[in-house]
Amino acid sequence: MTGSQYYGPLLGPEARSHFDEQLSLTRQGLIELGSLVTENLRLAGEAMQENRLDLIPEVRKADLAINERYYELERRTFEILARQQPVAGDLRFLVSATRIVYEQERSGDLAVNCVNMLERLSGFPDLPLLRSLLTQLVDASAHTFQMSVDALESMDPESGVRLDRADNEVDTLVSLFYAEIGKQAETMGLESAIALSRVGRYLERIADHAVNIGEHVTYVVTAEFPKPDHVTPSDRP
Amino acid sequence: MTADADRALIGDTGPETGEPPTPPRFSLDMAARRQAAGTDAAVMFEVDDLNVHYGDFHAVFDVSLDIYERQITSFIGPSGCGKSTMLRCFNRMNDLIEGARVTGRLRYHGTDLYGPGVDPVEVRRRIGMVFQKPNPFPKSIHENIAFGPRITGFKGDVDGLIEDSLRRAALWDEVKDKLAESAYALSGGQQQRLCIARAIATNPDVVLMDEPCSALDPIATLRIEELMQELKETYTIIIVTHNMQQAARVSDRTAFFNVQLNERGQRMGRLVEYAPTGKLFTRPDQRATEDYITGRFG
Amino acid sequence: MATPVTTADVVAARLTGRRFRPGELAFEAALLAALLVSLLFLIVLLADILATALPVFRQRTLGFISGELSPTADRAGVGTSILGSVTITAGVAVLAFPLGIGTAIYLEEYAPDTRLTRFITTNIRNLAGVPSIVYGILGFAIFVRFISAVGLGGNVNGRNVLAAGFTLAALVLPIVIITASEALRAVPAGIREAGFGVGATRWEVIRHHVLPSAAPGILTGTVLTLARAFGETAPLLLLGAVTGFFTLGADSSIVDRLTSAYTALPVTVFDWSRQPGEDFRALAAAAIVVLLVILLTANSAAIILRNRYERKW
Repeated sequence: MTGSQYYGPLLGPEARSHFDEQLSLTRQGLIELGSLVTENLRLAGEAMQENRLDLIPEVRKADLAINERYYELERRTFEILARQQPVAGDLRFLVSATRIVYEQERSGDLAVNCVNMLERLSGFPDLPLLRSLLTQLVDASAHTFQMSVDALESMDPESGVRLDRADNEVDTLVSLFYAEIGKQAETMGLESAIALSRVGRYLERIADHAVNIGEHVTYVVTAEFPKPDHVTPSDRP
Repeated sequence: MTADADRALIGDTGPETGEPPTPPRFSLDMAARRQAAGTDAAVMFEVDDLNVHYGDFHAVFDVSLDIYERQITSFIGPSGCGKSTMLRCFNRMNDLIEGARVTGRLRYHGTDLYGPGVDPVEVRRRIGMVFQKPNPFPKSIHENIAFGPRITGFKGDVDGLIEDSLRRAALWDEVKDKLAESAYALSGGQQQRLCIARAIATNPDVVLMDEPCSALDPIATLRIEELMQELKETYTIIIVTHNMQQAARVSDRTAFFNVQLNERGQRMGRLVEYAPTGKLFTRPDQRATEDYITGRFG
Repeated sequence: MATPVTTADVVAARLTGRRFRPGELAFEAALLAALLVSLLFLIVLLADILATALPVFRQRTLGFISGELSPTADRAGVGTSILGSVTITAGVAVLAFPLGIGTAIYLEEYAPDTRLTRFITTNIRNLAGVPSIVYGILGFAIFVRFISAVGLGGNVNGRNVLAAGFTLAALVLPIVIITASEALRAVPAGIREAGFGVGATRWEVIRHHVLPSAAPGILTGTVLTLARAFGETAPLLLLGAVTGFFTLGADSSIVDRLTSAYTALPVTVFDWSRQPGEDFRALAAAAIVVLLVILLTANSAAIILRNRYERKW
C-alpha cells in the first residue's frame, strides 16, 4: 500500500470526501512544517559556517513561526480525532501526526540552540578541520531531516529503515567531530570546546528525530514499527 | 501471533488483491483452533462451512468461525451482507422463514444444531434472542418474564426469578413497584431491557442480539452497552450491529461480513475477516475491512 | 436557481397573503353534501318507519313483543319470530365460529404460502360475495334433505331451525374466516418472534399471545357477523320459514321445537308487509323497529367491547 494512493492525493480534484481532504491537509501541514524546519536548519548552518551573527535573529524569528504552526497543526489534528472517530490506517496516521509534529518542533528548537551557542561564543573558532567537520555534520543532519520530509511525501514503508541507515552516517560524523574537539580543546579553550560539543549533540539529535519520523511513517503504512537491526550506543531521545 | 494466526483461521489472501479468500481450514481439533485464535477461552459455537439459502437466493456463503464463551462477538458489515441471517442461524430462527435452507455445520457445545433430531424449540430455550425493535408481549411486566420459564416447566419461585432477571437486566429498580402494569407503558430503552430480562429468564447460556440499540436514543444505547459488559460475565453474547463504533466499544471479537456478487450477479454474504476487536480496528488484515471501517465504502 | 428572498417584508407578505383557495372549499363542500344526502336518506327512512309503527307501540308494546303470530292484526306479535331468529343465530354461532376461527388460524399461522393456499384463500373470498339466496338453494338441496334423512325432519320434512342454522352458518362462514384472518394478521410479527425467541412452540405462541391479541378483532367480527345472520331473509324463505300463522303446542319438547315449523323476524316483516290493510302495515313497521333495535344493540355492543379491549394495552 503506497502512500499517496492510500492517503489520497494532496488536495487534488479527486479528493473523495471531507475527511479525506482533512487527512490530506494534515499531511501537507506536516510536510510544510518539516520543510520549514529543514530550511531553518540550513540557515543556522550557514550562520555557523560563516560566523554570520546577523543571521541569528532570523533563525529565531523563523522558529517562532515554526512553533505557531506546530500548535495549529496539533490542535487541528486533535479536532479531527475527536470528530471523525477514525480507525485503522486513518487512526494510525492521525496519532502519528501528533507525534511527528512534536519531533519536528523539537528539531526546530535544536537548530535555535545551535545558533545560541554561536552567539555565546560570538563566532566559532577558526580551525579548518573543525569547521570542515562541522559543515559536513550540518549538511548530513539537514539532509537526514530532509529525508524525513520526503518520507512524509512518499509514505514509503521502508522509511524507517532508510532513515536509520542515514542516521548512522550522522553518528559517525559526530564521533569524528568530538574527536577533533578533543584534539583542539586546549587551543580553543574549555568554553568553546563545551559549546561546540553541545552543537554536535544538537545536530545528532536532530537526525534522531528524523529517524523517529521515518519510523512513524513505516508504522502508519505497515502497522508495525521497524525492528532495530542494531542497538545504537548513543542515547536516543 | 495474532496476525498470522487469524489469517490462518479465515484463509489467506493478499491485502492488495482482494480476491476471495481460500476456503478455510476445517479442523476438528479444538485445541488447535483455540491456539490459532490466540485465546484460552472455551469455544461455545463452531461454525463450519455454513451456507444459507432462501429459495434460490444464496444469502450466506461458506462461513466458518468459532464463538468463544463469555465473550461478546459482533457481526458488522454493509446492508445485505447476511449478518442478521447469520445470527438467526444460531438459534434456528431461520426455520420460521419459508424456503430457508441451512447447510453446513453449526455446533453448540459439540452438538450440531442442524443435525437430525434436534428440536428447535429446545434450542431456543438455551439460546435467547433480543430483537431490533423492542417487542414485549402486550401483557404485564411480570407476565412478560414469567411466560418463558412457565412454558419450559419451571417449578420454582417465579417471583424470585423475575426479580433476578430484572436485576441482571438493570431494570429492577425502575419497575419493581409496577410489575403488574403493562409493558407498553415503559420507554423504548426500558422495553428493550425488559426484552433482555425476558431472554435471560429461561436461563440460557447465550444471548443473541440483533441490532438491539438501533431503535433507541443514544443514552439508552449506552446503558445497554454497559449492561452487556455486565452480562458478559455470565452469558455469551453475539451482537449484530450496523454501528461500527458500537462494535468497537462493546465487543471482544468482531466478524466483518461483506457483500459479493456471485457469477450470476446475485448478492451473497461472506465472512471477510474475524479478529479480536482491538486488532480489527487498528490494523485489519483485509483491504475490504479497512475500507469498510474507515467509511471508504459501505 | 433563484436565491431565496429574505427581506422581512417580502417574507411577511408571502406568508400572510393568499389564504383564499376556492378549489379546496369547493371540494370540502362537495364531500359535506355527500354526507348530508346519505344522512338524509337514512333519516327519512327511519322517520317514515317510526311514524308508521307508532300506533302499535302506543297501544301495546309488551304484548306486541311477546305475542305470537296471529291472523288478526290486533293480536299479532313478534315473540315467536324473535325466538326463531335467536335460535337460528345461536346455531350459527355454535357452528360457524369454531370452524371459521379454526380455519383462519390454520391459514394464517400454519399453512405455507403455496399456490394451493392462495387458491383456497381466493375462493373463500369469492364465497363471501355469493348472494344469500344461493345459500338458500344450497341449504334446501343439502341440509334440509340431510336433516330429514337422519330423522330430525320433524313434521316439516326438514324445513326447521336446524336446517336454517346450518345454512346460515355456511353463509357466514367465509366472512368469519376473513375477519378472523384479518384480526390475526393485524397482530404484529414481533410478538410472534418474541414468543418463538423464548422457546415457545407454535401452538404456545398462538394460544398465549396471538389469539389474546387478536381477540378484540375477532370478537368484533363475531358480533357483526351474528348481527348479519340475524337479519338474513332470502335463504330463510326458501328454507320453509313460515309466513303465515302457526303454533306449537304449549307442552311440546325442545326437540319438537327444534325440528318443527319455525319463523324468523325478517321473514315476519316480509309477510306482514304483503298483507293488505293499514293495520298490517303498521305491524310490519313495528317489527322493523324491533329488528333495528336488536341490530343496533348488537353493533353497539361490538363497538363497546372492542373499545374496552383495545384500551387495555
